[in-house]
Amino acid sequence: MDLEKKIIKIIEENLEEELKVTLKTDLRDDLNIDSLSTLMIITALEDEFSITIKDTDFAEIKLVEDIIKLLKEIHPELGEG
Amino acid sequence: MEFKEFYRSLEVDTSLADELNFNPYYLKISSGLTDPIIIEGEEYINLASNNYLGLAFDDRVKKAMVEGITKFGASMCGTPIATGYIDIYKTLEEKFSEFINVEDTIIFPSGYQANCALFPVIAKKDDLIIMDHFAHASLIHGIRSTGCKFRPFLHNNMAHLEKLLKSSNKYSNIFVVTESVFSTEGSIAPFDEIVNLCQKYKAIPVIDDSHGIGVIGKTGRGILEEKNIKDYFGIYTTSLGKALAGAGGVISGKKELIRALRYSCSGLIYSTALPPPVIQGLLKVLEILKEESVQILKKMWKYKKLISKTLKEVGFKLAEGSAPITSIIGGDTKTTVEITKALFKGKILTTPFVPPSVPNNSGKIRIIAGANLKKSSIDQALDFFKTELRKQFIK
Ligand SMILES: Cc1ncc(COP(=O)(O)O)c(C=O)c1O
Repeated sequence: MDLEKKIIKIIEENLEEELKVTLKTDLRDDLNIDSLSTLMIITALEDEFSITIKDTDFAEIKLVEDIIKLLKEIHPELGEG
Repeated sequence: MEFKEFYRSLEVDTSLADELNFNPYYLKISSGLTDPIIIEGEEYINLASNNYLGLAFDDRVKKAMVEGITKFGASMCGTPIATGYIDIYKTLEEKFSEFINVEDTIIFPSGYQANCALFPVIAKKDDLIIMDHFAHASLIHGIRSTGCKFRPFLHNNMAHLEKLLKSSNKYSNIFVVTESVFSTEGSIAPFDEIVNLCQKYKAIPVIDDSHGIGVIGKTGRGILEEKNIKDYFGIYTTSLGKALAGAGGVISGKKELIRALRYSCSGLIYSTALPPPVIQGLLKVLEILKEESVQILKKMWKYKKLISKTLKEVGFKLAEGSAPITSIIGGDTKTTVEITKALFKGKILTTPFVPPSVPNNSGKIRIIAGANLKKSSIDQALDFFKTELRKQFIK
């Protein structure tokens, strides 16, 4: 599975409601994500990719595609697969 | 920052309250929890307090509190470790432990404080705390203050909890934290399953039973009775200010835990003990419950069923839970406050929950009918739901 699909799946799995997620989905406006949901997603990403993500790295995230950009930036090896 | 700028930065956004000309918060109540209650000189049916069993204005409880004052005065002016530990404080600890069937108990000035003060004692840097996504602010506050790894799990979702437990073998201790009754919607945690998962993965369960104690379980002894959990090996906390109609908080569990808290929990050691009348009142409440809980609970459940049946028939969407809490789903903040305002104009007091107390666009209007309410008051509220409230909010 490519990186985009994996990340979308992780987000979908960490939501209280069943919602469709795409690269353009806005975490706050479309998914009503609160700070604990954000933490759930961050820790799930850490598990999946065996990486560490700082809360502060995540502060600027708005859209799902921003997460992909961020991960590629802080862990370039993820973009290579 | 200039001090003026600092105070400006603290400004509260009251635009919605201004627009609706209604602020549901900090209403000035000028009676006790009687039926009706009095707000600004007007009578209201109280469907807002956590007075589930209706004991807050019970004559026997009031009399016991007066006896507490007569014997011990207004305050012991000391923390429990110093001069605050009167004999009835110890009696209450023992009676409470017996009531919920655990080894030992320690009493705090509030439930919030108990939850905040617990985690710094039990959790160390290399531990993991896993918590239900919808657990109370005081638990989050306590957990965050430890600095250890913190992972929320999806609300009451056992598959997700197990997934997190499975991938957690690198931590020293693991704690799984949840509430018994989630108070904004009335759902009850599958705590028997959580305890089993904890056993399987060698984690320590922590349950906050604030809205369960006195209310769930056949005789009102809370979540451990409700889920038939014997020999509980985890940690139990609760507020004493809801169904038990007093004030204060509790941490209960194994003797070793309580002993450690007595000597190393700063939120206990450095905070003035509950005043004597409150302790005496709580002792009376436990005594009343031993004799009368089944009868009181029957009335409380009858009211709850009438209210949720009527609201459903009228066409409101409800958050379905099995606790004696009925929550109308209001959705966005404005609609939630508008429904609350309409009820208030109909002389019915309810509690609106808007973000950040609930997730965005998940506003709820919570209704709790205490067993002290008269049947005629419930009927009056039901009539209002069927007529005015329907007219305004059901298309
Ligand atoms: C689940 C829960 N825990 C803790 C508290 C705090 O308890 P207290 O009001 O005794 O501080 C509350 C409510 O106030 C609560 O609902």
